[in-house]
Amino acid sequence: MRTSIKPWLTLTAGLAGMALVVSGCGTSSDPAASGSSDGGSSSASDEKITLTITTFNEFGYEDLIKEYEADHPNITIEHTKAATSNEARDKMLTGLAAGSGLTDIEAIEVDWLAELMQYPDKFVDLNSDEVKGRWLDWKAAQATTPDGKLIGYGTDIGPEGVCYRSDLFGAAGLPTDRAEVAKLLEGDWQNYFNVGKDFVAKSDSAWFDSGNAIFQGVVNQMDAAYENPSDGSAKDLATNTQIKDAYEMVLKASVDDGLSAGLSQWSDDWTAAFQNNGFATMLCPGWMLGVIEGNAAGVTGWDIADVFPGGGGNWGGSFLTVPTQSAHPDEAKALAAWLTAPEQQIKAFISKGTFPSQVDALSSEELLGQTNAFFNDAPTGQILADRAAAVTVAPFKGANYFAIHQTVVDAITRVEVDKTDDAASSWDKAVTAFTELGLS
Amino acid sequence: MATTAATPTTSTAGPPPPDSRRTRLRNLRGKIDVKLSPYLYISPFFILFAIIGLFPLVYTAYVSMHDWHLIGGQGDFVGLANYVDVVQQPRFATALRNTFSIFLLSSIPQVITAIVIAAVLDANLRAKTFWRMGVLLPYVVAPVAAALIFSRLFADQSGMINALLGYIGIDPIRWHSDAFASHIAIASMVNFRWTGYNALIFLAAMQAIPRDLYEAAVIDGASRVRQFFSVTVPLLRPTIIFIVITSTIGGLQIFDEPRMYDQYGLGGADRQWMTVTMFLYELGWGAQKSFGRAAAVAWLLFLIIVAVGLINFTITRRIASSGAAHPKGGAR
Amino acid sequence: MSSSVASIRQTAGRGAARAAAHKRGLGPSRRPGWVTYALLVVFLIASAYPLYYSLLLASSDSATIAQNPVPSLIPGPNLIDNLQRVLGSDIGFWHAVLNSLIVAVITSVSVVFFATLAGYAFAKLRFRGRRALLVFIIATMAVPTQLGVVPLFIVMAKLGWTGTLTAVIVPGMVTAFGVFWMTQYLEAALPYELIEAARVDGCSMFRTFWHVALPAARPAAAMLTLFTFVASWTNFFWPFVVLGSSNPTLPVALQLLQASYFKDYALIMAGVVAATIPLVVLFVVAGKQLVSGIMQGAVKG
Repeated sequence: MRTSIKPWLTLTAGLAGMALVVSGCGTSSDPAASGSSDGGSSSASDEKITLTITTFNEFGYEDLIKEYEADHPNITIEHTKAATSNEARDKMLTGLAAGSGLTDIEAIEVDWLAELMQYPDKFVDLNSDEVKGRWLDWKAAQATTPDGKLIGYGTDIGPEGVCYRSDLFGAAGLPTDRAEVAKLLEGDWQNYFNVGKDFVAKSDSAWFDSGNAIFQGVVNQMDAAYENPSDGSAKDLATNTQIKDAYEMVLKASVDDGLSAGLSQWSDDWTAAFQNNGFATMLCPGWMLGVIEGNAAGVTGWDIADVFPGGGGNWGGSFLTVPTQSAHPDEAKALAAWLTAPEQQIKAFISKGTFPSQVDALSSEELLGQTNAFFNDAPTGQILADRAAAVTVAPFKGANYFAIHQTVVDAITRVEVDKTDDAASSWDKAVTAFTELGLS
Repeated sequence: MATTAATPTTSTAGPPPPDSRRTRLRNLRGKIDVKLSPYLYISPFFILFAIIGLFPLVYTAYVSMHDWHLIGGQGDFVGLANYVDVVQQPRFATALRNTFSIFLLSSIPQVITAIVIAAVLDANLRAKTFWRMGVLLPYVVAPVAAALIFSRLFADQSGMINALLGYIGIDPIRWHSDAFASHIAIASMVNFRWTGYNALIFLAAMQAIPRDLYEAAVIDGASRVRQFFSVTVPLLRPTIIFIVITSTIGGLQIFDEPRMYDQYGLGGADRQWMTVTMFLYELGWGAQKSFGRAAAVAWLLFLIIVAVGLINFTITRRIASSGAAHPKGGAR
Repeated sequence: MSSSVASIRQTAGRGAARAAAHKRGLGPSRRPGWVTYALLVVFLIASAYPLYYSLLLASSDSATIAQNPVPSLIPGPNLIDNLQRVLGSDIGFWHAVLNSLIVAVITSVSVVFFATLAGYAFAKLRFRGRRALLVFIIATMAVPTQLGVVPLFIVMAKLGWTGTLTAVIVPGMVTAFGVFWMTQYLEAALPYELIEAARVDGCSMFRTFWHVALPAARPAAAMLTLFTFVASWTNFFWPFVVLGSSNPTLPVALQLLQASYFKDYALIMAGVVAATIPLVVLFVVAGKQLVSGIMQGAVKG
C-alpha cells in the first residue's frame, strides 16, 4: 500500500517518534512507544546581570534605560511594558500570588498601592540616605508603612488644574485668558458650579465631562474619606455624611443643574465628545494633558488655568517597587533610585509629560520653562508646579479604599450616566453594596 | 444508530491461527497491541493533564476551603464557608442571571443559524470555497479586537448602530444602561465570532453523510425540509452533541466579551452584564482579593456547567434519536 | 493485505459513486436557487462588515474616526501610513510574528496528531474505562480558566519556563476540545468495516490507525488545524501573563499600541489588520485544501 502521505502528516508522526512503523501491513510490529526527547538545554550563565523592569502606559523610560546600560556595561535591562495599568496589575498580582515571576522592578499606580501596603514583606525596603527628602512629603508618605518602611520610589504625580475651551468660553461671554479664568474659578466647588450655570445658560455644551471626575476631585481633598487613619477600619458608608454630602452635591450639579455631559470617563462616547464640543472644562491632572491632546486632535481652543476648586488636588501618580522575589535586589534598587532621581524624571517629563514628584525637579529651570503648544502655549511646567505646591492634603487611603469608593462611583454612574436610578435609591444600593463587602 | 459503540474490532484480530510458534508469538504481540494501544493513544492528553492540569484543579479545591488572600496567601481552614458566603451574595444571583441570559441569547440563535447555514453550504453551490471561507472570516478576528470593534459599534451616543437606527427614526437604544440590551450586544459579539465556526463544524459532519441516504429519501418523495429533518439531523447527532456541549461550556464561562464591553470591565454600575467568571475575577483580583471565595465560585461554576451540560446532552440525545426513529435509512 | 486494500478501494469506490451522484444532481445536490444565495450574501455581509470596519478605521485618522459614528464605506488614504506606524513602532512586530508562528504551528500540529490518536481510540476501540475517561476529558473543559492562571503560573515557574515560548506551547500541546472533536467526528465518519478489514489483514493497531483512521479524519483534522492555529494566534491573556512584552507573541505586542495616553483607533485598528492579514493569507492558501478536505466526505484510501 503506497499511500502518499502529506508532508505535515510526516511531521506529526516524527513528533511522536512513531514514523518508523509506517511501512506496510504484512508484518506486524510492536506498537511504537518511544520516549520523546526532552529538550533540557540550559542557557549558560553569564557574569553579567540582567535586570528586568515592568512599566505600563507611558513612563518615558526608553532612552533612560539605554543611558543606564551605557553607563553600566555589566547590566542589561529588559523592559516589559503593559498597555494599561489594569493589565500590569493583573500580571503583578499573579506573580505575587504565585510567589515568583515578578520582574526586578515593578511599577505600580497609587491606586493599588494601598492594597500592597498590607504586605510590606513582599517588597524590599527602599529607604536610604541618598533618597531622603527627594520627594514631596505627601508623595513619600503614600508609600511609607506605619513602621517607616519605604516600599516604592515615587515617579510622577498628578497635580490638578482646570483645562478649558477658551473658544467655548468666549462664545458664552466668559473670559478666555487663562489668568482671568483662574481668577473666575478661584474658590470652592460651589463657585465652580455657579460659573458653570452661567455658562450652560449661554452654550449648547456641557460644563464638565463627568460627575465621577468631579467626585474624584472632591474625594481627593478629604483627609480620610472612607477609613479611619488610626486603625485603617472602614467607616460605615450609611453614616458617612461627608461622602454623602459630596455625593449629593455632585449629583445636584451634574443632573439637576445639567452641568455634566453625563459621560463615563474613558468610554467611547467620552472620547468622541472631545471632537463634538461635548463639554467646556475638565479637571486636569498633568497626565491628562496628553489624553486631551490625543482625543481632541484637530480641535483648537484648549487651554489650562492655574486654579483648582476647593484648593489643590492630586490625582494619580506612580511608584517603582522592588519585590523581594528579585534575584538582584541591590542592583534593582540602585536602578530604581537612578530612574526616580530628579534629573531623570525631568527628562521623562519632557519626553512623555509625566510630571515629576521630586522636590528638586519642581524648581528646575528646564521644567518651569516647559510650554505646551496644544494648550495655547501655556507654561504647563510652571502651572503644574504651582498646582503641586497647592496640594495640602495627603488623603488617607487604606486597604479598602477602592472597594468602598467603587460603590459610590457606581451609584453616581447609575444616576448620571445610566439614568436608571434617582439619587436616593442609588445611594441605598451603594449602602447595600458596602454592606456586602463585609467590612464592618 | 447504537448508543454505545460496542465494536467487534478488538475481538477479531488476525486470521485463524495455524499452530506454529511464530504465529503464537505474533498473536501474543497482537493481543498486547490490542489491549495496550487504546491507552497509549489517549495517554498524551493525560500525561499533559497530569503535568499542567491536575495541580491547578486540586490547588483550587484546596484554596476554596481556606481563608485565602490573593497576596497574603493561605489563612485558616474554613470548610465550606466560602461557598456559603458566595451563594448568599446577591451579586452571585445577578451574575448567574446575566450569564444565563447571555448564554441563551447567544447559543440558541447561534446553533440554529449555524445548522441552517451549514445546510445551505452543503448544497451544490457555485464558488464553494469562497462561501465557506467567507463564513469563517469572523473567526480570524481576535476576541480582543472584536471587543474593540463592537464596543465602538454599540457606543450609546457615538456608536454606529444607534446612528443607523436614528436614520430610520428609531430612538437610540441604551446599550449599556439597559441590562437586556447589553446582553444582546454582548451576545451579538459572541454570535459574530462563532456562528460561522459552528456552521463549518456542522458542514464537515454533513459532508460525511452518505449521499445514497438522500437518494433513498428522494425516491421516497421526501421534500428538502423533510430530508433535512429525517436524514441530516439524526446523522449529525454526535456533532450536535459536540457543539451543544462545547458551547454550553464556552457560553457559561464567557469572560472576554463582557469584560471588554466597557472601559472598566466590572460589568456596569449595576453589574447588569457581570457574568459569573467576571464575578469570580472581581472577588479574587478586585478590591477584596479573596482568592478563597473566587476559587469557591470557580468550583460552583464548574458544577453548574456540568449540570447544564448533562441536561443539554440528555435533551439533545433524545431529540436526535426521536428524529432517527421514523425515517428510513436514518440509522446504519 | 490484498483483501483489506480491496475492501478499502471498494468503499472508496462507493465514495466516488457518491461524488458522482452528487454531480448528477440528486438529493441536496441540485443547484440551489437565488434564495439560498441571498441568504448567504446577507450572512456574509454581516460576517465581513466588522472586519471591514476595522480596515476602514485603520485607513483613517483619529479625528475623522471620532467625528463620524458611521464611517464612509470607502477606505481612507492612511492605511499604508498607519501600517508603517505599527511596523515602525518599538513593539518588536516581526519578532512577535515569528514567536506567534512558532507557537501556532507547533501547537496545531501536535494538537491534531494527539487528538486524532485519542479520538480514534475513544470512538472506535474498546477498552476498560473508555466512557469514564472521555467524560473526564470533557469535564476538564468546564474548569474556569481564569482560576487556573495562578496555579499554572506556579507550575511554570517551578519548571523554569516563564518568559519562554515553552510555557505557551506545552499547555496547548493537546486539548480536551480536540480530543472531543475528533471522537465525535470519527464516531460518525469511520465505518467499522474498514478497521475490521485492516485488522483481518494483519495490520498492527497503529498501522490501522495510520492507514484507515488518519485518512478518514482528514477533513476534521484540517478544521482542527485551522481552529487551533487561529486560537493560538489570537490568544492573549496567558501569553501576556507568562511571557511579558520582552519576548511577546503578536497579541501581547499589539496591546502596546494602546499604551499611549489616548486610544488612537487608527493605529490600534491598523494593528488589528496587521495581525489578521497573516491569517487571511493562511485562509487563502489553505482554503482550497481545507474545503476539499471537507468535501472528501467519509473515507478515502
